[in-house]
Amino acid sequence: MLRIHGLHKSFHHNKVLRGVDLDVEKGDVVAIIGPSGAGKTTLLRCVNFLERADRGDMYFDGTHLDMHRASTRDMLAIRRRTAFVFQNFNLFSNKTALENVTEGLITGRGIPPRQAEDIARRALDKVGLSNRLDYYPAKLSGGQQQRVGIARAIAVDPEVILFDEPTSALDPELIEDVLGIMRTLAHEGTTMVVVTHEIGFASDVASQVIFMDEGLVVESGPPRQVLAAPAEDRTRQFLRRILPATNLVV
Amino acid sequence: MGLDLEYLYRTFLLALGGLPVTLGICVATLSLSLPLGFLLALVGMYRVRVLGALASLYVSFARGTPIVLQILVVYSLLPSLANAIAVNAGWNIDVFALNPAWYAIIVFTFNTTAVLAEIMRSALLTVDKGQLEAALASGLSVWQAYRRIIVPQALLVALPNLCNATINLIKGTSLAFLMAVRDVTAIAKIEAARAYDYVESYLAIFVIYLIVCGITQMLFSTVERRLGIYRAPAVSF
Amino acid sequence: MDRPFKPAYIVEALPRLLAYLPLTLGVALATVVAGSILGLALAKAKLGRSRVMRGLADAYTWTLRCTPSIVLLFLVYYGLPAFAKAVFSVDISLWHRAFFVVLTFTLFFGATMSELMRSAYLSVDRGQREAALSHGLSEFQAFRRIVLPQAAVSALPNVATSVVALLKEGSLAYTIGLVDLMGQGTLIIARRYGAWALETYLAAALIYWALTVTLEKIAKRLERHLSRGRRSLA
Repeated sequence: MLRIHGLHKSFHHNKVLRGVDLDVEKGDVVAIIGPSGAGKTTLLRCVNFLERADRGDMYFDGTHLDMHRASTRDMLAIRRRTAFVFQNFNLFSNKTALENVTEGLITGRGIPPRQAEDIARRALDKVGLSNRLDYYPAKLSGGQQQRVGIARAIAVDPEVILFDEPTSALDPELIEDVLGIMRTLAHEGTTMVVVTHEIGFASDVASQVIFMDEGLVVESGPPRQVLAAPAEDRTRQFLRRILPATNLVV
Repeated sequence: MGLDLEYLYRTFLLALGGLPVTLGICVATLSLSLPLGFLLALVGMYRVRVLGALASLYVSFARGTPIVLQILVVYSLLPSLANAIAVNAGWNIDVFALNPAWYAIIVFTFNTTAVLAEIMRSALLTVDKGQLEAALASGLSVWQAYRRIIVPQALLVALPNLCNATINLIKGTSLAFLMAVRDVTAIAKIEAARAYDYVESYLAIFVIYLIVCGITQMLFSTVERRLGIYRAPAVSF
Repeated sequence: MDRPFKPAYIVEALPRLLAYLPLTLGVALATVVAGSILGLALAKAKLGRSRVMRGLADAYTWTLRCTPSIVLLFLVYYGLPAFAKAVFSVDISLWHRAFFVVLTFTLFFGATMSELMRSAYLSVDRGQREAALSHGLSEFQAFRRIVLPQAAVSALPNVATSVVALLKEGSLAYTIGLVDLMGQGTLIIARRYGAWALETYLAAALIYWALTVTLEKIAKRLERHLSRGRRSLA
């Protein structure tokens, strides 16, 4: 459904992505793992055109797009078919929880306000926040903010949701709330690409795990392969560092 | 010395008659300067090449020279310039019969636009980049993102400075008498010269400016409180 | 236009105006010094314990913020001599006009400075003073050696802006007849019965522009110099 080919991106002289491929089928949950600085976040941001790639091709349902040359209209079209969940939430601080969800529906997609509100209520109900509709982000805890962020993403019924380290900015006791919601979404068949440090989540939920390092995909495949029996040294080293107790059961 | 309170009160009422002129100039200036200043702030932020250099030169000049000189320069230039244009274009209007308040509006717009551009530029910079990204990722166009998310947030940040700029503008219009505008100050000045009663005359308009600026500040803080509800500090979850 | 614009007259006016620059700067400098002292007293009142003093200082600042320079200038110029005559039987109406100008703008500058000093003082983290006290510095030493330098850095950009504003507003002194840079400009024009006014005003504007830009540059330099060792968040 979504295929990225030969993605390159540098910041000044720093080559962050050096030819990355990504292949996402409908219903896939793709977990992208790897050390910091590997280019995981940049990859995700390029897919949503929050960064403009230096080079790369995108095939979305067969439609080809040159990622470097994409026009404003192309970018808008892709963004309206996808959704993005940010590491630091980025809720609109001047909008309530409900308005945060309706904004993309009403303004972005021209859905009538009343209908948009119904959709938003359902989405917020799904993440367990139907009692916080009129709260402004400043009044919500980090975990609640991220749940609004997820509601904002699912409300627009996107073909794929991009999660950029959605639990990294959360206090440990709040992480499971958010991961639980993501699990539910995965079971319902939502197509998701998740940059994460939660190896447990990746091994439970992902249909495909991608290990990235130094701007390249080092290895990819089902979790039982990449996480339990990695073929590459670098993957093994990374996993050993991040899971000192190596008692990963897949 | 004994203040002539009755005279003071009479001048107060008389000078109040100039308030519509003073406020009219302010409102007209602000409605021109706000959009212009915003455009200029965007030009400055996005470093549009030639335009950006010109814009910063203009802002530097308008903010770096006394308003009284700007008034005198414009007032000694504009009428004859406008006349030349009118004559050349064959328009049948007498430029010199034009209400001088128009010149005042032009000068104060020239000055205030530069001030507002600076205020809005720094206010826009306070808005987190993530807000724009989240808006784009939600499927809003850049224009929509600015109109619905970025500008409302920046405006709130800018409000205290906008209040300052408005008060400075109101105070600045007290120099409009230099262009023969009959505003609050001009009326008091004429009265003072007529009756040789300088102290009472100026005390009268001193009070008027206190009231006008006081009300302006109250309006701004009300608006700030209203718009700022979302900023209320997180009490407890 | 019904008359030609002659840039030559700008060039001609420049040296004649610049001759009065020392007076303009002198008036500004005197105002800065006197205004800072007034500002310090007001800031002390605002940060102090007495509720009455705090209220008075705040009311003063608020009033001055709402007063047009020209109105206060006229009030001081016409009102003070009348007041002095009535109360002290002293005739000060013939004192040098610079006195009235400096007094007027000291009242304004003091109000501005008091606000800047107050917020600069509050911007310094409490822990700085506490750390200094616990290291054996006296209250005064802690203020002078630790708090003040940090407060000064944070206030500097705003102080520069205020001095620029003072210079610009000070140009109004000509309206009570002080012959400074601006006053000399109007005199030149008057002697020519209004001829070449535009050129003369432009010359004055250029001088003020150069002055304010230079001042801002110096402030930037100073700020960079003083803020060594401070890491910025931005």
